[in-house]
Amino acid sequence: MTRTQQQAIRLVIAVIAVAVVVQFFAWYFPTHYGPTDTRLFASAMYIGVAAMGLNLLTGYNGQVSIGHGAFFGIGAYITALLMDHQYSWFGLNFGHQNFLSTIPTVAVVTFVIGALVGFPALRVKGLYLALVTLGLAVVFPDLATRFVKGTGGTSLVSLTSTELAAPRWFPSQLSAQDQWAYTMAFAFALLGLVAVWVLARSRFGRSLIAVRDHEAAAASVGIDLARTKVTAFALSAMYAGIAGSLSVLVVQNASGDDKLVTFQTSIEFLVAVVIGGTATVVGPLIGGFAVVYIQKWATDAFPNKPIISPATFGIVLIVLMYVLPDGVVGGGRRLRGLAGRTLRARRRRDVNPAPL
Amino acid sequence: MIDRRASRAIGMRRGVATALVVAVALVGAACGGNRSTAKPSTSSPAVSTAGSGSSASLIDTSNCPPNTDTTGVSGDTITIGTSVAESGTYAPFSAILDGEQAYIDYTNANGGVTVAGKKYKINLVAKDDQYVASQTVNNVNSLLNDNHVFALLDVVGTKNNLAIRNLVNTQCVPDLYAASGATQWGNHQYPWLIGSELVPYPLEVRRFVDYLEQTKPDATIAVLRANDDFGQSYADTLTQMVKGTKLKIVQTQQYDSAGSQVTTQVNSLASTKADVFFLGATLLACPAALTAAQNAGWHPIIYMSGTCVSKVLFSIAGAAANGVFSVTPLLDPAAPVNASNPAMQLYRAQVAKYKPKADLDDGIVGYGWTTGALFVKTLESSPSLTRSAVMETARTLKDVSGVGLEIPAAKWNTSANDWFVGETFQFIKYDANAKHTDPVGSLTNDDGQTAKLTPSELINQ
Repeated sequence: MTRTQQQAIRLVIAVIAVAVVVQFFAWYFPTHYGPTDTRLFASAMYIGVAAMGLNLLTGYNGQVSIGHGAFFGIGAYITALLMDHQYSWFGLNFGHQNFLSTIPTVAVVTFVIGALVGFPALRVKGLYLALVTLGLAVVFPDLATRFVKGTGGTSLVSLTSTELAAPRWFPSQLSAQDQWAYTMAFAFALLGLVAVWVLARSRFGRSLIAVRDHEAAAASVGIDLARTKVTAFALSAMYAGIAGSLSVLVVQNASGDDKLVTFQTSIEFLVAVVIGGTATVVGPLIGGFAVVYIQKWATDAFPNKPIISPATFGIVLIVLMYVLPDGVVGGGRRLRGLAGRTLRARRRRDVNPAPL
Repeated sequence: MIDRRASRAIGMRRGVATALVVAVALVGAACGGNRSTAKPSTSSPAVSTAGSGSSASLIDTSNCPPNTDTTGVSGDTITIGTSVAESGTYAPFSAILDGEQAYIDYTNANGGVTVAGKKYKINLVAKDDQYVASQTVNNVNSLLNDNHVFALLDVVGTKNNLAIRNLVNTQCVPDLYAASGATQWGNHQYPWLIGSELVPYPLEVRRFVDYLEQTKPDATIAVLRANDDFGQSYADTLTQMVKGTKLKIVQTQQYDSAGSQVTTQVNSLASTKADVFFLGATLLACPAALTAAQNAGWHPIIYMSGTCVSKVLFSIAGAAANGVFSVTPLLDPAAPVNASNPAMQLYRAQVAKYKPKADLDDGIVGYGWTTGALFVKTLESSPSLTRSAVMETARTLKDVSGVGLEIPAAKWNTSANDWFVGETFQFIKYDANAKHTDPVGSLTNDDGQTAKLTPSELINQ
């Protein structure tokens, strides 16, 4: 068997394996697992989406942000308000839209706001940038409380079941509300993943890394620092905004007026990036799962003990950082490297018999 | 140095190995799955309204999912659920659970509740939402899908109940006695949600405004309110009630409901030297505001939200709480004059027995106990054990008295035009030396008044 034939066979196996994986998650999971499981999975997906965006900014570009909960909240509010309310601005009537039609608006608005935040962020670095973004996470809930007129006169926008339901063209086996939320989260997670993969391998991705590692050298080879950094901010904000939109389908409302929650969400994204593996493509998605499922495990392991479960989550995070300092993906690479080295050592012994 | 072809081959080998492992694991996991194939359709209405009673019923079950009217009742157990802050800033509200669970344990120990001639035990499943509305939605979804509860009881928080309002109405699940006095519960579009015996905020405000008109009709009022909907309710109704009087609101300050930092705001209000300090605040912000006012050397007439009436909060404020006005629909467990009341003695004995760590003098525990009692009373009065019949019963309470720590002379009523339970209450004043509240004036009977007093745009939000 020639090497090309071997490669072809491996390619076929890989494609089949990937198809099984995608088929399982796209079809089998939502039709066989109940609403609690699909909702949990969907929330892991959208946290993963936001984490992928944050990874572009923090992992690949080295700008630490603990304020992305604000972009998440903005995306959630835009989607919820466009779906639930009717507006009439400057002669334009809009509102009561379906979910998918709100996504372009969310993407554009959060991209622009991210860019606007990215400009002043050019002036600060490291810890100071983190503090500035923290300010974002703190200011946003105040703005939300003041300006959002949602359900019952509060700054909570709660959606009705008709608004949350799957559209008519959606296959009926997946048309329950939780399945629709799941499918949307899964679809956008895949899209986001592919986009990050393309970006990371492109010239833009390389310039992100160059700016992170050595700004002066990057500038000297002609990389526009400002444009790279601002674009990174804008893209990460867009991802977080879309994650917020997805959360509206899962949680059935948009509520951004709690400072602690906005802050906690921002930290969750960062935790997901670090656990999964900074500057890796699939790491943040895995991190999203880790954040959601470890918390769920901790809550279920200690029912009726409201303090012990968050403490357990914290302890697990600390342990993970010791065991997997490069995140899950980094740990996976090392594991495979170990396996590879062991296999290669064995093969070399077989191939190269002891010299005479 | 491995050449590029070999490294690509190794990379591909690793990728294939990973994908294979994952695929095999998934095929193994595919033996799982717990989705019930019977999906209730929400698009077509049910053919007949099973168990809804007469055609004049308040609860329209024609759009309810079919075959869910007796969910949560299995054998002789009724499973109900609640979502309350058990941790976080609002953890003191979990004392409600202590009182509730104690009443349920007491009922179960005495054979259970009798509904339509049969005895049932009650099982209460509680979930923690840390007062965060999105977590309440998750909890309620979990209660409905995993625990298959019959009804929700005493879910805490205005925003939390607003977040689940659509859900419970579409799925026709009774959200009984929500722990909030907000006016939104009078919205006729949401019949499956009813507020608890907490005094509706507009009635509180009106009672205090009446008191002011009698004692200081031209008073200036400084307002501190939470920056959330709870505070908004108070601010809106106060503005409404002082219209047409000589009372004047001179300044309103908001504090962040996520914490209890109020000192700056109170200092600002103190500088107005207003005659009255109105506190649309809850939990720890109340004693903090009282202390801040005392420290600023400001001694106005103070009114505090009924949700702050709790021994814990009063004792934190200490002497600063002396003379503070509020309202309560229940007997104060800390007042010695109530000690000989048989309902109070029952409460103390049973809560001490089933929840020994609970603070018996805490009004919040007493509130939980009373809401549990109201729930059991509603079940007992219901013609059948179905969700729609129980909801109907809650909406048609007639002269309910002697429930838990309900004030003995009070009667609670609800009807088609009166959607609020706790409209009979006592105006009270706190005595910091004696460490309990004293009634001021006679019992206020505002039965049916909430809907009349409150502008419809505040109700139909």
